[in-house]
Amino acid sequence: MQIPTARLLLIGLGAIVLASFLPLWASGYILGLLTIAYYFGVFAMAWDLLFGFAGEVNFGPTFLIGVGAYTAGILDNLYQPPIWLCIAAGTAAAITGGLVLALPALRLRGPYFGLTTLVAVLILQNLIVVDAHLTGGEIGLTVPDVISISDTTNYLIALWFMAISGAILFSLSRSPVGLILQASGQDAVQAGALGFNVTKHKLTAFVISAFFSGLAGTLMVFYLGSASVGTFIDITVGVQIIISAVLGGRRTILGAVLGAIFLIAMSEALRPLGDLSNFIVFGMALIVVLIYPNGFFGLLTRTREDV
Amino acid sequence: MKKLENRGASAPLLAALAAGTAFFALTLTAPAYAQSNTPIKIGVIAEATAVAGSSIPQAAQLAADEINAAGGVNGRKIEIVSYDNHSSAAESVRAFQRAATQDHVNAVITSYISEVVLALEPWAGRLKMVTVTPGAASDVITQNIAKDYDHLKYMFHGYATSTSIADATCAAAKDLLVGQLHMKTAVVMSEDAAWTTPLDAEYLKCLPQIGIKVIDHIRFSPDTTDFTPIFNKIEGEKPDVIMTGVSHVGVQPTVQWKQQEVPIPMFGVSSQATNSSFWNDTNGATEGVLFQGFSAPDVAVTPKTLPFVQAFSKRFGHTPSYCGYTAYDEVYYIADAIKRAGSVDPDKLVTAMEQTDFVGTIGRVQFKGKDTPNPHALKIGPETISGLMLQWQNGKQVNLWPAKVANGKVKFPSFIKVGAAN
Amino acid sequence: MTVFWQILIDGFAISSLYALGATGFALIFGVSGVLNLSHGSLMVAAVVAAWAAGDSLHVGPYTGAAIGVAVGFSLSMLTYFVVVSPLQHTRKIREEEKEIFILTATLLWGIMIQQLIAYFYTDNAKTVAPIVQGVIKIVGVRTPANEIFTAIVCGLAIAILWLLVNRTRAGKAVLAASMNPRGITLLGVELSQVYVAVWAIYGVLVGVAGVLLGMFLGISSYSAGPLTASAFSIVVLGGLGSVPGALIAAYVVGYLETITAYLISPAYRTIPALLLLVAVMYVRPRGLLGRR
Repeated sequence: MQIPTARLLLIGLGAIVLASFLPLWASGYILGLLTIAYYFGVFAMAWDLLFGFAGEVNFGPTFLIGVGAYTAGILDNLYQPPIWLCIAAGTAAAITGGLVLALPALRLRGPYFGLTTLVAVLILQNLIVVDAHLTGGEIGLTVPDVISISDTTNYLIALWFMAISGAILFSLSRSPVGLILQASGQDAVQAGALGFNVTKHKLTAFVISAFFSGLAGTLMVFYLGSASVGTFIDITVGVQIIISAVLGGRRTILGAVLGAIFLIAMSEALRPLGDLSNFIVFGMALIVVLIYPNGFFGLLTRTREDV
Repeated sequence: MKKLENRGASAPLLAALAAGTAFFALTLTAPAYAQSNTPIKIGVIAEATAVAGSSIPQAAQLAADEINAAGGVNGRKIEIVSYDNHSSAAESVRAFQRAATQDHVNAVITSYISEVVLALEPWAGRLKMVTVTPGAASDVITQNIAKDYDHLKYMFHGYATSTSIADATCAAAKDLLVGQLHMKTAVVMSEDAAWTTPLDAEYLKCLPQIGIKVIDHIRFSPDTTDFTPIFNKIEGEKPDVIMTGVSHVGVQPTVQWKQQEVPIPMFGVSSQATNSSFWNDTNGATEGVLFQGFSAPDVAVTPKTLPFVQAFSKRFGHTPSYCGYTAYDEVYYIADAIKRAGSVDPDKLVTAMEQTDFVGTIGRVQFKGKDTPNPHALKIGPETISGLMLQWQNGKQVNLWPAKVANGKVKFPSFIKVGAAN
Repeated sequence: MTVFWQILIDGFAISSLYALGATGFALIFGVSGVLNLSHGSLMVAAVVAAWAAGDSLHVGPYTGAAIGVAVGFSLSMLTYFVVVSPLQHTRKIREEEKEIFILTATLLWGIMIQQLIAYFYTDNAKTVAPIVQGVIKIVGVRTPANEIFTAIVCGLAIAILWLLVNRTRAGKAVLAASMNPRGITLLGVELSQVYVAVWAIYGVLVGVAGVLLGMFLGISSYSAGPLTASAFSIVVLGGLGSVPGALIAAYVVGYLETITAYLISPAYRTIPALLLLVAVMYVRPRGLLGRR
């Protein structure tokens, strides 16, 4: 029982419009939190496109995000061009990175693809730490410009960016292209036998995923005013993105946003516990993975597939 | 096509989920408790799980409690609001934004990591928040203030700059290494980080001035775990001493230095060596390591030093790290500045802070003026803050310099060959 | 010339340590098809336990080491029973997706352990009091006796493992299971018992490797990720599922790193091994001795 596309989009639009009024009564802190959550939502949606549909587990979504974020940040540090130029450059870099990674990696089967993505993240992390003069190394990079210091402006930018990205990604998932992707993901041989160019479609999915991940990454850099391995690249961040998508529900795109908001909100709510907060959040995620692998959306649509 | 089955049993679960989410939304959006005659809030953003960083919020709280017990600042109490930044610049930025816009703090004490302080410096300017660091050393912090005073004047460097630390180290080296031990050559070994760039540059300048020739300069990645190749290389060059600049690492190079029995002493800056737990962390391998500091548990640098150490140890069960001393002093002189300014207005507070003349636990605190190359840096020297040169001996930190507060003599483990250029 | 001997000896010690860790990792994958991404965290836990025992209970180095190994073993069993086994047997996830879920779950589990350690013991590096102290001169190179001890223990452990797998009945069952899990059930062997045995062996290997690492170089909760990464880089290089391949690859990686650190710069230590990994994955994804 799949909720019809039109209805979901309408509900989504309603939620976004409502959320736009939040700055009227919520504090700057809440807005800041949700801003980060919205960007994470985009990361998670981009990941879900790849995994949920193309069936490719990307263990290093942060490779694409990191390439985009750091390219934009370093460019700004070195030459101080206008922000939109840095953002464009960062996104282009992410797409290039995605192509470089995907072209050979898509030839690999099974766990090797996932491992390649993981190795890509490690290499990026090493490069950043070693080139500390350029990148700020382990502790981080500060960029001189930010998009805005107003909480409301940043919040609205993030909200509508997420809304538009979500609409595009979601429509894609329900479109014929999306169905082909899903078929390729579940049974590549059959899809190929039916005449679809599986590799070309997966590559397209990869590039789209890279575009949104990179763009969201650069926007986040110019929101925070800094970039660091711990915010954009570390495996922990990648895991948080994957968890958001899984928690929300694989193959739903929109569920990823719910998952992201839940994850960020929980981490903050548990902040007083210090490091233990991460432990608890990941613990909860582990329980969900073990017991309710279909996530929130899976629960909401109240179906169970008999294996 | 797979069989589909409706699960009505999930309805209660859904209800619980909805209630849970609503509850969270409520707790998060609860409006800030509005009060007049509010306490003075000082935000503390630090690395609470790092050995050095954990002392910052603890010492700040101790100072706040003491001030409150004595009546507060003009009747207003001081409240410490603490944030753990997990040694990350980005998390520090988020915490800073939260402190300023949500928790409405009046000043921020933050971090012993230079990169973190540098990431927060522009935000201190954007959000007009008086910010003091208790432990970061990079010269760039105050050089930035010189370049853009009007925006960045809210930043204060409550610890010595790397350059002045190098100078203090050279001053100690002149008496101990050249005067007493007649050493002639050195290899500079430091981690590749923002604070060591000016440190090393100053070492390379001041060491020759006291008669020590620098024969090599090694910088290693802060996430190095195997120091064997580095020590082997240094040993091959046969210097009399290894001048150190380490903070992010400490336990591993020290333990490996001892295990390999490198016959060359280590002298210089090693922030982790200043922690009282360092002896245990290294299982005693730190015996004989000489390290620069501004404080030590048994050294009465000023009349306030030992009472602070005793109060801290009694309350927290261990002696404070080096940035605990400065964080403690900072709460006191921020409170003092608020009292003198008669207000928490950021610009008035800046003016009052610039006029600080306060005897703290590590010496006399005065800030350099706006027309110097390093505005808002601490004045370092025999009249203000001179620093110490310490050595681990038998589980204790012994002070060797300056002579007037020394309580021991240089002593090396048996595998060190001093003097004879091996 | 001394540099040559230094590289040889230093490289040997590091490679042996890598070999011990990677062997366990390869064993788990070879037999049960699980890439345990909590590998590094288990090693860190073993070291911290050994250190904590020495620090708070004031036990001697031998007891401390034993406690560390015991903790490694217990955590390994916990990982199997709480995280891996339930996922392998669940009916809520499609078979093709199980691998990914197990990977994600072990990753989560590893991070959880890491966070817990950092919370209680801070992320500062910990070293374990070495069982063997002092230095020995080998071919004119002054080497800590501890390094030799490490290499010997690693060698012994791997030799014992080899004996176990090739000479005992239980071991042969494990070997057979790694080649053909279905086939072995036809012979009446309880597959789940084989899995438990393998995870038990793995636990001991991880505990020993962790404690040795703690004595030799020291470890912090930050090391968990790099340790896991290093283990599976080696295992992929050697060929997923091949234990002899992992052994050889461990020495290749160990020496690559050591040579880089001595001759180029300690800062670039990990880069050549990673580049080699990338090259292998593109050119010959099944690694040196891989089967699949």
